[in-house]
Amino acid sequence: MNGAIMHVDLTTGTHRLLDDPELFGEFLGGTAVATELLFRHGDPQGDPLAPESPVIFAIGPFSSLFPVATKTVAMFKSPLSGELGESHAGGRMAMSLHEAGIDALVITGRADTLSYLVIENDSAELKSASTFREQSAAATERILREAEGKSGRKVSILRIGPAGERLSPMACATVDGSRHFGRLGLGAVLGSKNLKAIVISGTRTLPLARPKEFKAVYDTLYDRVVKSKEMKKYHDLGTPANVRPLSLIRGLPTRNFSQGNFEGSEAISGERFAKDFLVQHTACAHCQCGCIHMAELREEFAPYHYSTNRVSYDYELIYAMGSMLSLSSPEDILKLLLFTEKQGWDAISLGCTLAWATESFLHGVLSLDDTGGVSLSFGDCAAYLEVLERMAKGANEFYRDLEKGCAFCAKKRGGLEWAIQYGGVEPGGYMTGENFAVTCLLGVRHSHLDDNGYSIDQNLLNAPKPLEEQVRAQVKEARWRMVLNSLVICLFARGVYDEEIILQGLDALGAQWDAGKLRELAAKALLRKHEWKRLCGFDPAAVVVPDKMYSVQTSTGMIDRESLRKRIHLYLEEMKG
Amino acid sequence: MTVKYLRVVNRDQCIGCFSCMYACSRMVKNAAGSGKAALRVKAYTGVEGAFSIRVCARCEEPDCAAACPTGALTKAPGGGVRLKKELCISCMACVKACAIGALQWDEEEKRPLPCIHCGQCVKYCPNNVLALCEREEECDRR
Repeated sequence: MNGAIMHVDLTTGTHRLLDDPELFGEFLGGTAVATELLFRHGDPQGDPLAPESPVIFAIGPFSSLFPVATKTVAMFKSPLSGELGESHAGGRMAMSLHEAGIDALVITGRADTLSYLVIENDSAELKSASTFREQSAAATERILREAEGKSGRKVSILRIGPAGERLSPMACATVDGSRHFGRLGLGAVLGSKNLKAIVISGTRTLPLARPKEFKAVYDTLYDRVVKSKEMKKYHDLGTPANVRPLSLIRGLPTRNFSQGNFEGSEAISGERFAKDFLVQHTACAHCQCGCIHMAELREEFAPYHYSTNRVSYDYELIYAMGSMLSLSSPEDILKLLLFTEKQGWDAISLGCTLAWATESFLHGVLSLDDTGGVSLSFGDCAAYLEVLERMAKGANEFYRDLEKGCAFCAKKRGGLEWAIQYGGVEPGGYMTGENFAVTCLLGVRHSHLDDNGYSIDQNLLNAPKPLEEQVRAQVKEARWRMVLNSLVICLFARGVYDEEIILQGLDALGAQWDAGKLRELAAKALLRKHEWKRLCGFDPAAVVVPDKMYSVQTSTGMIDRESLRKRIHLYLEEMKG
Repeated sequence: MTVKYLRVVNRDQCIGCFSCMYACSRMVKNAAGSGKAALRVKAYTGVEGAFSIRVCARCEEPDCAAACPTGALTKAPGGGVRLKKELCISCMACVKACAIGALQWDEEEKRPLPCIHCGQCVKYCPNNVLALCEREEECDRR
């Protein structure tokens, strides 16, 4: 990699290009490079929505070159957690950045009026987006694909929906068809910059310096992607394959984490979605697996008149809008997801916040005065759709608060003990036990993908292990994912990319890496992220598990305060090496 | 020599992964990326998952060759075209003449990218969308 960094200043409408091969030589790419760029351009004490607050996108040395290296890393200060904001998305963005010859994109400043940025190879132009202000994320893509795709060239389109324009800290940024920088509020940060969309295209290809070696590594990876059992699982039923098995082991969060077994899990299982609603698989650019599952939602809007929409679904979405809200009808889940997709909210944060609101209403912490007469109860899809409508309109202060997340709402209105959030971030859909709780507490993004906590929990059901061993395995995985996220590989292909093939791939590209250097990078990147988090004010000793989580059964039993304290201590020690 | 025909046989099984385009660039042109591909997968605006794959039809009387003002692009034996690079003036008349949008343009070299019907794209399609047929009548144009 040349380490080409494009810096766009939205305030002045100018851009500059800089090659920093040393940065990429030392930090590989993706997440590790983006973290360093955040140190370089960001202020950990600053306002995440201030013009000077940077948004950084980075790809890695395998992007667009090897199969399933499909992700782009986004790094920013999160308006949801107030600390490290990091989110990954697929689609065609990594391909387009690579073809434009851009390894990292740094955006600062604020445009005068709502604008969109068009990047074509080394040029960047700011254009007015005033004609499509408040347009949905879906409509914005349609508009821009026509306006900017006239040349017939492949373009990638990143945009925010109305939620991002309203600066909702749970607003996502949507990439191409239906991929997302879902978590931690990138949508609000882009909205604060008056940046509605980014359109990226390029014409670059890379001559293969060592074609024989490159093709050999490629073929090994290709075979693993199309033949391995693990990748086939992601393609066939996809992540929703986990709905039933997790419910069977009490790991599927139900009615705001009250229990892990959902009586409607069969009705919203991956099998049921596939049989009754799945109409097509699609893929990110250069992923032969194709894990994107598109459902078709057909609704009768007047007698004998139907609307038809395609909605992508995944395990986390079924959890957040299904079992969390006690909805056991796939149609209901798809209706909520369609609305969410158009507005551009993060479905996980939104589902958890709706669940908090429901429990708060049922406990009398919220009243009909707050909700403007809407009665909330688990299982009532019509009420939830009404809530989303009112949130989109900003109907009253309560609805404007709701799109700020459950931590904000609970702090202001009460019900903190059942606001399921860790460091301000609503969790992924696992109720498996203490290892997952540690993931949520100490994972760099408070994300279920930061390590393998939920998987360690599940494995304990068959083979118990000493606590120390569990924590060591968790930190080891958190470190290793720094390598995968620096390359940048989709984590669904984590079983495909082992250390040996990664080193062979880097070698075929002429990059100088060995196993020792990779492991060093992994340890360092993890520590650097924690360093930035601490500079923002994150204190691992102070972040807490919501009280409710100590009084519910998980897959591995009750969460014990003392045991959790021990795990946190061990994790932090282990991380230091 | 047997004439081979590259054909789209299962369009509706395409997942839009572009693996075919990457394969063409990599295996035929020794270039990483998808920009040297002699075929194209098009995604349709606003219609999630609707892909159209444009491959060279190996025309017996190729419109692209007929449109070439310098004789750089000429009809090959058995149909299809071949390019004499030194005669190409980068006018793009050939690309514009291909009504199905199959003939691709090399944006770096400013030349057309004629398909040689070698089947590398077929080999790397995970969903059997493409096929290489021995005879024209074997090709099912679905």
